[in-house]
Amino acid sequence: MSQEKYSSVFLRALFQPSTAFKELSSIDPTPMSVLFRYSIWLLLIPPLCAWIGASAFGWRLGADEPLVLSNHSLITISIGYFLALIFGFVSTVFISRWMASTYGARASLGLHFALITIVAAPLAVAGIGHLFPNVLINVLILIPTMIWSMYLLYTGIPVVLEISLEKGMLMASSLVGWLLVAAVSLLGISVGLWTQGMGPFLGV
Amino acid sequence: MPETDEHFYQDDVVKRLVMFSVAWAVLAMTVGVYIAAELVAPTIDFGQQWLSFGRLRPLHTNGIIFGFGVSALMGTAFYSVQRTSHVTLFLPKLAWFCCYGWQLVVLLGGLSLLAGWTSSKEYAELEWPFDIAITVLWVCFAIVFFGTVARRKIRPIYISNWFYGALIIVIAVLHIVNNLAIPVTISKSYSLFAGAQDAIVQWWYGHNAVGFLLTGGFLGMMYYFLPKIANRPIWSYRLSIVAFWAFTYTYIWAGPHHLHYSSIPEWVQSLAMVMSLILLAPSWATMINGIMTVSSASEKLRVDPALKFIVLSLAFYGLATFEGPIMAIRSVNVVSHFTDWTIGHVHSGALGWNAMITYGVFYYLIPRLAGNRLYSYALANLHFWLALAGTMLYIMAMWAAGISQGLLWLSMDEIGELKFGFKDIMASMAPYYLLRLIAGLIFLSGTALMAYNFYMTLKGRESVLVKPPLVDAAYRV
Repeated sequence: MSQEKYSSVFLRALFQPSTAFKELSSIDPTPMSVLFRYSIWLLLIPPLCAWIGASAFGWRLGADEPLVLSNHSLITISIGYFLALIFGFVSTVFISRWMASTYGARASLGLHFALITIVAAPLAVAGIGHLFPNVLINVLILIPTMIWSMYLLYTGIPVVLEISLEKGMLMASSLVGWLLVAAVSLLGISVGLWTQGMGPFLGV
Repeated sequence: MPETDEHFYQDDVVKRLVMFSVAWAVLAMTVGVYIAAELVAPTIDFGQQWLSFGRLRPLHTNGIIFGFGVSALMGTAFYSVQRTSHVTLFLPKLAWFCCYGWQLVVLLGGLSLLAGWTSSKEYAELEWPFDIAITVLWVCFAIVFFGTVARRKIRPIYISNWFYGALIIVIAVLHIVNNLAIPVTISKSYSLFAGAQDAIVQWWYGHNAVGFLLTGGFLGMMYYFLPKIANRPIWSYRLSIVAFWAFTYTYIWAGPHHLHYSSIPEWVQSLAMVMSLILLAPSWATMINGIMTVSSASEKLRVDPALKFIVLSLAFYGLATFEGPIMAIRSVNVVSHFTDWTIGHVHSGALGWNAMITYGVFYYLIPRLAGNRLYSYALANLHFWLALAGTMLYIMAMWAAGISQGLLWLSMDEIGELKFGFKDIMASMAPYYLLRLIAGLIFLSGTALMAYNFYMTLKGRESVLVKPPLVDAAYRV
C-alpha cells in the first residue's frame, strides 16, 4: 500500500470512520511505524500546549487569580504529562491486544496500535485547548471530544478487529473500564505528587 | 391434591417490591436533581425550611439507599433465594409485612427528615422511633430469608445467598450499634458515643453500609442474575467464594479512611488506608468474574437490554472500587476530602454501579413476572444511552470541580497565607454545578422512561405462576 493512502486512513478515520476503518482492516501496519509516524506526535500536542498556555497565562481554576508556576516546574510537569500519556497509550494498546484473545479478535499488534491511535486522536487534538488554560473551558472541550473518541472506539473495534458487533461492544466497554481507571490513576498520581511538593505550593 | 399458593414461588411480593423500588428511584432522583438545582440557584428553596438543602439532601440519600436500594435488594433476594433453594418463601405473610412495613418506614422517615428530625449522623439521620422500626423489619427480613435457606431442598448454598446473608447480618450489627442512643423526646435522641469514638463508630457504620449494602448486597444480585441472563454458569465459582471471604474480612476495617488527619489515632487511619488498598483485590476479582461470565454470551446482547446495563455496571464497579482505594491514600485524601471529587466518586458507584445493575436486573425481571414482552426495546435502548451519558457527565463535572477546589483551598502565597478565599472558590463552581444538574436531568429522564416502560409492560397482567423444579438426586438435601 502506498504511503499516501496509508496516511489518509488516519486522517479520514476522524471524519469518515466507517470507510476508513474498513480500509484499515485490510492493512497490517508495523507497530513502530504507527508509533513514530503518528502516535507520538499526536501525544505531544497536550503537554506542549499545556506548557505554552500555562507559562503565558497561568492556570485558571475558576478563582480570579491564575495559578502561576515557575518555568522549571512547568517543564517537569509537561515532561511527566507526556510520559504519562505515552505510558497510558502503550499500555492501552497492549491491554487491547491481550483482550483480543478473549473476544476472538485479530491479534496483530500493529492494528491495535493504529486503532488506539485513531481513538486517541480527538482527545489529543483537544489538547490544543490547553493553550487557553482555564479548567472549565477545557472540560467543555473535553466532553464532546470524549464522546467522539468513544464513538470511534465502539464503531472501530468490530470492523478493524473483525468481530461481531456484540463482541465489539463487550470489548469496547472493557476498554472504557480500563481507560476510566487510567484517568483516575492520573488524577491520583498528580494529587499525590502535589502533596509531596511537586507543582503548586500547597499548605499541607 | 389440589394445588395451592404454597406450591408456587411467591413472586407477587417480588413484583410489588420492584414497583416500589422504581417509584422511589424516580422520587429520590427528582429530589437529587432539585438540590442540584439549588446549588445553581439557591433561592429556589423559597425561604421554606422543608425545601432547604440541609433537609432535602438526607431525603435524597435515604430515599435512594433505603427506598430504591433496599426495596430492590429485598425483592431480588426473595426472588433468587426461592430459586436457588428450590422452595417457596418461608412465612410469605411475613415477607409481605417486610414489603409494606419497609415502605411505610421510608415514607414516614422521609417526612420526618423534611420536618427537621435528624440524628445528624450521615446515612443514619432517622431518629430513634424509625431506628427501632427498621430493626424489627430487618429481623423479619432475616427470618424470611434464612428460613427459606434453612428449608432448601438443594444441598449447596449458592454464592448469591452468601452475599445477601452478609448484607442482612452485617447491616443489622452496624445499624444497631451506630444508633445506640438515649431518647429525650419523640424527635430527639443523643448518641451513646462521644467525640472521636462517635466519629469512628459512625464511619465504621457509614463505610460498611456502602460495603455490605451498596456493594455486597448488589453483588448478590450480580451473582444470581448475571449468569441467569447470560445463560452461563459463573466463570469461576471458586474465585467467587475466595472473593466473598476476602471482601468480608477486609471491608470492615476500612471505615476510618473517612477520618484522615482528624483527632482519631494515626495508626487507625493508616490501618484503614492499607485495608482500603487491599480491598481492591477482592473487588476486582468479582469484576473479572462477571466480565468473563458475560464474555462468552455476547450473542445475547443483540436481544437483551438487561445485559447491556449489567456489562456497563461492571465497568463502573471497576472504576469506583479503584477510585475508592486511591482516595483513601492519605496524601491524596488531603486534597480530595471535602471536595466534590467525593460526590463524583459516590455517584460513579451509585449511578454507574448500583442503579445500572438494578435497571439491568429489572429489565430481566419485569417481563418474566408479567409473562409479557417488554413494552418497548427502543425505549430501553434509549434509557441505556441516557444513563451512560448522565453518569459520565456527572463524574467529569465533579472531577474537575473537586480537583479545582482541593487545589485552590490549599494554595498558599509566598508568605504562607491562603491564596484564595472560600467564598470566591465557591462562586467559581457554578458552571460545574450547572453541568451536574444537566447530568442529573439526563439520568432522571432515563429512569422515568424505564418506569413508563414497566408500567406499560405490567398493565393489566396477572403474575406468572412458577413451580420449583425437581432437584437432581446428587444435590438433594
